[in-house]
Amino acid sequence: MIQLFHVSKIFGPTVALKDIDLRIRTGEFVFVTGPSGAGKTTLLRLIFGAEPPTEGQILINGINLSRISGTKLHLLRRKIGFVFQDFKLLSRRTVFQNVALALEVTGEKGSVVRKKTHQMLRAVALAPKEEAYPIELSGGEQQRVAIARAMINDPLILLADEPTGNLDPEITREIMVLFRSINLRGTTVVIATHNRELLRNTDQRIILLHKGKALE
Amino acid sequence: MIAKLRLWATYLKVALSSILYNRLIYAISVGTIAISLLILGAFVLLSVNVRDWIQGWGQTLSISVYLKDGIDEGTRERIRTAVSTLQGAEIKGFISKEKALQDMKGMLGSQAGLLDGLTWNPLPASFEVAFKNVDRAKFEPKRIKEALEKVAGVDEVQYSEQWLDQFEGLLYVLKIAGFALGGLLCVAVLFIITNTIKLAIYSRRNEIEIYKLVGATDWYVKAPLLIEGALQGALGALIALVILSAVHLVLSFKAVQVFGLPFLEFVFLSSSYALGILFLGLVLGLLGSFIAIGRFFKF
Repeated sequence: MIQLFHVSKIFGPTVALKDIDLRIRTGEFVFVTGPSGAGKTTLLRLIFGAEPPTEGQILINGINLSRISGTKLHLLRRKIGFVFQDFKLLSRRTVFQNVALALEVTGEKGSVVRKKTHQMLRAVALAPKEEAYPIELSGGEQQRVAIARAMINDPLILLADEPTGNLDPEITREIMVLFRSINLRGTTVVIATHNRELLRNTDQRIILLHKGKALE
Repeated sequence: MIAKLRLWATYLKVALSSILYNRLIYAISVGTIAISLLILGAFVLLSVNVRDWIQGWGQTLSISVYLKDGIDEGTRERIRTAVSTLQGAEIKGFISKEKALQDMKGMLGSQAGLLDGLTWNPLPASFEVAFKNVDRAKFEPKRIKEALEKVAGVDEVQYSEQWLDQFEGLLYVLKIAGFALGGLLCVAVLFIITNTIKLAIYSRRNEIEIYKLVGATDWYVKAPLLIEGALQGALGALIALVILSAVHLVLSFKAVQVFGLPFLEFVFLSSSYALGILFLGLVLGLLGSFIAIGRFFKF
């Protein structure tokens, strides 16, 4: 469960988010949309704990982010997967190493890391390319690597910021199918997008951000 | 415990991979650190040897009694007797004028031809005297010098302590210069390491962001950088010690003798000094990394 109580975020003179009250239930699939600068990315970053809100409280599964110590925040982040428009893959690491990284940072055993990484790469249909470097992959493949990395720790929540922004419509459909299957396994999925096509054919909940305010 | 060891193995792997990737920057940095620590090590080596020489000379107090030219055998024997009666004195040898000239030619080596033009031998004959089992605190070379110079036939008396006083002064200057230079070099090494790690952080800021993104602890990001700094410092110190030892090996074949004093043995740094330099490199490396990391992350 993600809960936001009267959350505002102000950057200097700019009000990015204003008095947001929001509940996203466990296992829900939610789109956050709005024009550029509406505060979509800021909202996801606040939920991820990358930024503190200027005002208000954020609770993730009952844990108040403003009360959590910096050293514990990384533990919470392991339960939140994050996928970006620009994939954020390590160019010097192979597909396998990029995905394995999320497990390695937890100090997991090498054999467990290898087994789970192979499983995850099979799940996103990238097993044949595990030794390839990101630069050798298409945009859709890179995004699947990023999703595999975000999912390998079995997160409770998957946040995706414009995950299809750099992809063509065919690949976008493939990626959305992947998100849907992740959600069906019980993971809460929150996707920030301004892709109208994506929203037109969905029956999922849509949160519209406009001038920092949230509208359902 | 095993999980922690596994993490440390990962930190080391990340650090080594970063060093390999930025190998040119690291090679320059390690080279500069090695040169700085080499200069520092050379100063320590010189100070240690000068100190040892002075201590060695101090343990064998000696005087040279120079005789006037043209004295007869009887006068020379009276001088020998006067010297022998001094407490703890032992005449190590009589150096005739001819032997003194011969020794001088030997010391000059290939330049000995300079003495060929001499029509007479200007060097005096002398008794070389060593004092054994004397209390150094109670030893008064000045008084002995004055007493012996009153004996008929004695031209001049020189004692090793005159040199010791000068060398002790030199040692003091060396110490002060060593501290000042050492301090400056340590600051320079710190500066080099801090900047190399800062460059490493800049070149890896995307990587660091991704580490944070996947839930890495702050320590997971910082530990490899600290290892990189420590490795740089230690490697620089190790190279400095290897070069210093090679230079010492070459120099130690050349025994040095100064003003008739005992032969000088050129010793290398003791293991504690060598370990000290290695440890200094390591600590400077860690400190440099700490400073660089501190500018980017809060500890």
